[in-house]
Amino acid sequence: MSMYIDPHIHLVSRTTDDYEAMQKAGIVATIEPAFWLGQPRTEVGSFKDYFSTLVGWERFRASQFGIVHYCTMGLNSKEANNIPLAEQVMELLPLYVGKEGVVAIGEIGYDDQTEAEDRFYREQLELAKEVDLPVLIHTPHRDKKKGTYRSMDVAEEHGMDPGWVIVDHNNEETVKEVLDRGYWAGFTIYPHTKMGSERMVEIVKQYGPERIIVNSAADWGISDPLAVPKTADLMRKMGIPEEHVQMVTYKNALAAFSLSGQMDEKDWLNAPPIDQTKKMGGNSVLRGGQVPRVEGPSDRVEN
Amino acid sequence: MSLFTGVEQAQLTMTQTENFPAFLMTLLQQQADEKSIAWLNQKVEKFKESGSKTGFFLAFSQASRHFSKDLLQISEQKAQEAEKLSKGFEPSFWNVLQTARTYLLLHYPQQKQVWFDAINQLFETADMHEHQALFAALPIMPFQDDLLPRAIDGCRTNVALIFDAIALNNPYPSTYFPEANWNQMVLKAVFMQRPLYRIQNQDSRRNPALAEIASDFAHERWAAGRNVMPELWRLVSPFLNDEFFKDLKKVMSSEDELEKKGGALALYQSDFPPAKGLLADFPNLIHGIESKSITWESIGQEYQQTRL
Repeated sequence: MSMYIDPHIHLVSRTTDDYEAMQKAGIVATIEPAFWLGQPRTEVGSFKDYFSTLVGWERFRASQFGIVHYCTMGLNSKEANNIPLAEQVMELLPLYVGKEGVVAIGEIGYDDQTEAEDRFYREQLELAKEVDLPVLIHTPHRDKKKGTYRSMDVAEEHGMDPGWVIVDHNNEETVKEVLDRGYWAGFTIYPHTKMGSERMVEIVKQYGPERIIVNSAADWGISDPLAVPKTADLMRKMGIPEEHVQMVTYKNALAAFSLSGQMDEKDWLNAPPIDQTKKMGGNSVLRGGQVPRVEGPSDRVEN
Repeated sequence: MSLFTGVEQAQLTMTQTENFPAFLMTLLQQQADEKSIAWLNQKVEKFKESGSKTGFFLAFSQASRHFSKDLLQISEQKAQEAEKLSKGFEPSFWNVLQTARTYLLLHYPQQKQVWFDAINQLFETADMHEHQALFAALPIMPFQDDLLPRAIDGCRTNVALIFDAIALNNPYPSTYFPEANWNQMVLKAVFMQRPLYRIQNQDSRRNPALAEIASDFAHERWAAGRNVMPELWRLVSPFLNDEFFKDLKKVMSSEDELEKKGGALALYQSDFPPAKGLLADFPNLIHGIESKSITWESIGQEYQQTRL
């Protein structure tokens, strides 16, 4: 059974069914970038509790399903536009960026490409350098090409090594420039919009597997938490070599985000077997009458 | 705030705070490499000198990059030393990382307002293992009275690692928790099937209300066709009456030998006259109790090892 990493998925919005399906499909590790909630927050405390959830409850919840959960920390570009609030979030970030399992500063960058977005993007690039973390860049959905190039220009202006930057949400229009300039290129597989799996296959055929990373970016919108394994299957069917499939759905993500020193294959290869009896509290993911899942190491391999 | 504890609190405040960090350092030196120790000392120097809260926060979280989560290896002599320095401190249940984090904590300036300004932020933004370190360190922190709401709130967690840090091998709850909160904590430990024998000073905090709660809990479990953890009867034993005696009779008719051990020990330790009569039918269990092979600890351990 192949192992997969989904390096961009907003698990706080997903159900336990999703977690079970992901684990069955071979996803061993996930990265949850700090993002917005579909509507803008109005209080800094909402950010604080959200960030705490990413390193706390959500990580614990994932572990109950045999999935190792990492996250990135940052102020997203949409909410950077509320300047007084954004300033408070910037004061909060140092409390979180050094925590275990925080594998990058992100997702940061541009949305409408406003002045405020530019200011907080730059400040967070500096923060990333200060704490030796890679950067995960969210590229805008509108005016994408220009926004993507600008993200890279500014990163370089701040002395970022492109090898430490993952530029996400690429498409056919942006991929060449991103790869040519030495960045990691993330591709989000969304049903109906953005990249579909078929387009992804063509891109890997054309550009090869180097520095290309596939993710689902599944969240509260129409999205598919199994996008990574499904795309891998399609690649195999379409004749892409197994080694290349593994690079774009597992190895490249691991190589990029393990630059943080916070992500290691051992975290899932040597993980203790899932034991829901050990950790469950009263109001937990197991409700009365459900039978806890306890599996031995052999189950993990065969599953 | 502290309601019970003339004696215990006096002992707690006698925690030798000056010697304590030095003791933690000797434990760290046994199990961490020199580079990590140097990192730790450097961080302490830095935030002490600059008074930088951010420096302190970063060091507290980044300690995970330098220290493992291996349990401390504690010799008999070290265990005694620990108990002497701070009553109820059981470092053999601590890991290296939380020891390092506690070392950092104890070097943060201890002026009340400055301290709480930082500590509150740490509590509110902690991840699982940071919470573990913070809650386990409650009994050696300054201003312990003021930490009571924090400790009570911490018990509301669903993460066993965090709950254990407060409830198990920690003298703080028995020293500071009012009865209602104490009872809620113990019941939650039962509910989460945590090893009750690791709750410190529990016998002195037993009370009739908790015995009622425990009995009600047993009835609920039985109604649902589920078994009851044998350590539960420890809570009932001193308050045995006609009602609870019916529960014990049911336990003693169980086919599960471990459940009967719990029932027998509760009966054995009770002054309720009919208890001895019921117990007389189980000479093997009486022998086990008197030869100390049946204790609350052995029952709890067997339950944890074989039933969960």
